[in-house]
Amino acid sequence: MEQLLEILSEIQPDVDYKTCTTLIDDEWLDSFAILSIVSELEEAFDIGITPADIVPENFNSAQALYQMVKRLQEEG
Amino acid sequence: MSLISMEFLLFVLVAAVGYYLIPKKYQWLWLLVFSYIYYASSGVKLLLFLVYTTGTTYAAGRLLEKVEQKELPKKEAKAAKRRILTLGLLLNFGMLAVLKYTNFAVANVNAIFHTSFSFQKWMLPLGISFYTFQSMGYLLDVYWGKCKAEKNPLRFALFVSFFPQILQGPIGRFDRLAVQLYQEHRFDLQRMQYALQLILWGFFKKLVLADRAAVVVNQVFLNYTQYSGVLNLVAVLMYSVQLYMDFSGGMDVVMGVASLFGIELDQNFKRPYFAVSITDFWHRWHITLGTWMKDYVFYPVSLSKWMGRIGKWSKKVFGKKTGRVIPICIANLIVFLLVGVWHGAAWKFIAYGLYHGLIISVSSLLAPVYRKGLEIFSINQKSGGWKVVQILRTFVLINISWYFDMAVSLSAAFTMMKTTVTGFSLSAFQDGSLLTLGLDWLDYLILLVGCLVVFFISFRQERGVKIRESLAEKPLLFRWAVYGMLLFGIPMFGYVMTTTGGFIYAQF
Repeated sequence: MEQLLEILSEIQPDVDYKTCTTLIDDEWLDSFAILSIVSELEEAFDIGITPADIVPENFNSAQALYQMVKRLQEEG
Repeated sequence: MSLISMEFLLFVLVAAVGYYLIPKKYQWLWLLVFSYIYYASSGVKLLLFLVYTTGTTYAAGRLLEKVEQKELPKKEAKAAKRRILTLGLLLNFGMLAVLKYTNFAVANVNAIFHTSFSFQKWMLPLGISFYTFQSMGYLLDVYWGKCKAEKNPLRFALFVSFFPQILQGPIGRFDRLAVQLYQEHRFDLQRMQYALQLILWGFFKKLVLADRAAVVVNQVFLNYTQYSGVLNLVAVLMYSVQLYMDFSGGMDVVMGVASLFGIELDQNFKRPYFAVSITDFWHRWHITLGTWMKDYVFYPVSLSKWMGRIGKWSKKVFGKKTGRVIPICIANLIVFLLVGVWHGAAWKFIAYGLYHGLIISVSSLLAPVYRKGLEIFSINQKSGGWKVVQILRTFVLINISWYFDMAVSLSAAFTMMKTTVTGFSLSAFQDGSLLTLGLDWLDYLILLVGCLVVFFISFRQERGVKIRESLAEKPLLFRWAVYGMLLFGIPMFGYVMTTTGGFIYAQF
């Protein structure tokens, strides 16, 4: 989780990722930021993220992102 | 049948009255019948194209689901699904490309190779870009497992053909639209009132403002060599009024009509001229096209294997931060190239799309420099003054793009831009040149007052005020004064065009 928070803060500072649960709904992350996060997550956690995974439910909070990473790691 | 014709209003009245009188379980079927009657009114033969898209998309969706149910090995299932998806996309985008872009290709081949291939005289089915995009969005959603394939072909036919939106959008999503179309709806007086208010508001924007501004726009853009720089500038500002009032006014009518049937369509506009950047503009202008492009082109292209390879290479060459953004910028340019081509088969539209794409890509690459600049000059990004500067800057950039959009050709756009800068003189405001463009001083006054009214309402909406809800809380006399002004003001101040004034986006 710490590594994930570091990635998020580096790409888009000025957001409290520990409490924010509306990263997409309140437009904290735009599509460029989302793709930058995807690129970093793929490299850091050795996972493959598909367009089907880019939905608000997976990107609205750091916790949701963490759950997605864990799920994709398990799926191999 | 134009949205602003008396026939259309009668058609909607009959459809709405019947809709609430028949048993509720048949309401969706009633809408389907009226949707097909509406489409057939523009040409019975054109129904074939609609049925083609409906049939091929429905079949592809069902086939995708059958593969999913077969429990094949993962790799085999993936390959089979990909084949079905590719076929579905080719059949539909192929049809769109052939009908819309053949003559553009012929013109360019003739120009480059000095050949004389003849142009085709095909009629472009109305709304083909909108219903094709909506259908292909559905197919991709089924492919990705975001929604289930519709089993009933007639219900699916309604999703593709729902009459208020088929000609100029908004481009609907299956998960939000279909469920409303198939639901049973009760008559709701409050909803009806809100819907009628929205329709009236749309008519006001279209008939009083857009059609009036169009007079100056057409006069100057079609005869641009005859006019001075300042009149070129007036024309482009008028175009920014015309296009917004035409398209958003049309959307208000469409959304109001859909709401009469209990169906709330996705928002297509969110006060775009209050945008603080070009990216923000595309979050507010033709929103459903922007989100369609984002979900079905931008993300898939950015996450494709070949783009991944470009990303690895660019990180090595340009470093982590810049290298990460480069493939995203390339995908963004591809998206805006498509947005340009979507608007029409001409080089000026390609320039229009690339202009927007380049600004967004370059802004993204230069974001760290921009942030540093703000720090150096101690600019408070949250101040109201800075927001106004950002809004004005974006408005200027948008108006430059309107030259590409409206000029008769790409070279005409550049000539008009040059004239605006080099032949600029304020004498046109004194020597009466403004009154030679087809409008008199009263027309300009109506345009000014009308735009101020729209600005005031938009400003209130930006502040979070819900206009119709707020109006409902006002005293009866005030409410009816507003309705009266709209009801009598539209026929009194509506501009009577000499040609049949359709909507700009209904040509796509």
